[in-house]
Amino acid sequence: MTWRLIPYQSHNAFQNMAIDEAIFRETLKNRKPPTLRFFGWHPAAVSVGYFQDVPKEIHVSRCRSAGVDIVRRITGGKAVYHLDEVTYSLSAGCWERRFPNDIVRTYEIISSCLARGLAGLGVRASLAETRRKAERTPNCFSEPAGKELVVDGRKICGSAQIRSHGGFLQHGSLLMKFDPAGTASLIRSGEPADELRSRAVGVNELVETSVSTEELCEALQRGFCEELGIDFAPGELTREERALGARLIKKYESDAWTLARKKDGFPVD
Amino acid sequence: MKVFPEDLLYSREHVWVRVDGDMATLGITDYAQESLGEILSVEFPEIDTYVERDEAFGSIESTKAVVDLIASVSGTIVGVNEDINDDIGIVNSDPHDTGWLVVIEMDDMEQLDDLLDAAGYHDYILQQEAD
Repeated sequence: MTWRLIPYQSHNAFQNMAIDEAIFRETLKNRKPPTLRFFGWHPAAVSVGYFQDVPKEIHVSRCRSAGVDIVRRITGGKAVYHLDEVTYSLSAGCWERRFPNDIVRTYEIISSCLARGLAGLGVRASLAETRRKAERTPNCFSEPAGKELVVDGRKICGSAQIRSHGGFLQHGSLLMKFDPAGTASLIRSGEPADELRSRAVGVNELVETSVSTEELCEALQRGFCEELGIDFAPGELTREERALGARLIKKYESDAWTLARKKDGFPVD
Repeated sequence: MKVFPEDLLYSREHVWVRVDGDMATLGITDYAQESLGEILSVEFPEIDTYVERDEAFGSIESTKAVVDLIASVSGTIVGVNEDINDDIGIVNSDPHDTGWLVVIEMDDMEQLDDLLDAAGYHDYILQQEAD
């Protein structure tokens, strides 16, 4: 089984989210094999979960004065300050039998792939226990959800998912280095930087010799191959995905979507 | 295994339907709420919105995922459960009754023939879990 791999590239927040939604829609529409994409954020950005209340949960004016973009994802979960990290997105249809039609199990499988990749770098990550009751924090890295990756209790990867039209898109941020001060300053979690410092950790805070973005992506790719018995074919966006992505950028750039979750006026079909 | 009320119909998208004349009340099944985990938010359609069968009429957020709510029948939204805005917990604790989501005025009652009864839905879940 061969999946498509979109190799690491950095884009701005709106391009990143538009690309992922375009890949997801085209995967489902054409019943394509899964696509794994690695990417970075330039400039740095805060992404918020689909249901989050931006003015209430994000320091909007601080983000704007710091040149940090704010973008609303279509996936759930909480806010992430994207700075020094590798982000992944995985789009797959439910016909892909490696993934059951079950949120938690899908998390478990993807986290196992990531953990296997990290183990290749000497980072021993484990899957967090599922808790019935989540804390009410707007910050993704304040606590792990069930089956997310932790290292000695500190979260190293935050993930979020949408299930729609017979498939899923999962986003995840794998920290290279955690920035508790930046996170505390931009996301209204009420937790000071010193407190956040003990909640999350990045790969390069755990290894003796720093790993590069490329090395991390290669390790993660290997983790998926070994865990699932698949191969990757490096690819690029199709013409249809590029065209759809270009239309979707308007949605992601708009305050109507980011601040108020208004979807009308952005036809994509 | 869970018990599903006999007086409801069920979709393969884990939505139940209670029929009263040409009105259909929809909610998620106990199986669905358990799979989702703690439900945090529900996004409802506007009243008078027309929804097509098998299309999303809203979405539901659990701890780590947003999931489409799929209409089991076509028709016009004539009611949404405002109580959920005050206590989202009822979708988890009482999904087949007070945790209902929307009422649809159906325009094609024959679509109900494609839904499952309680025994059929029970078998469908067993089959899904076996796959």
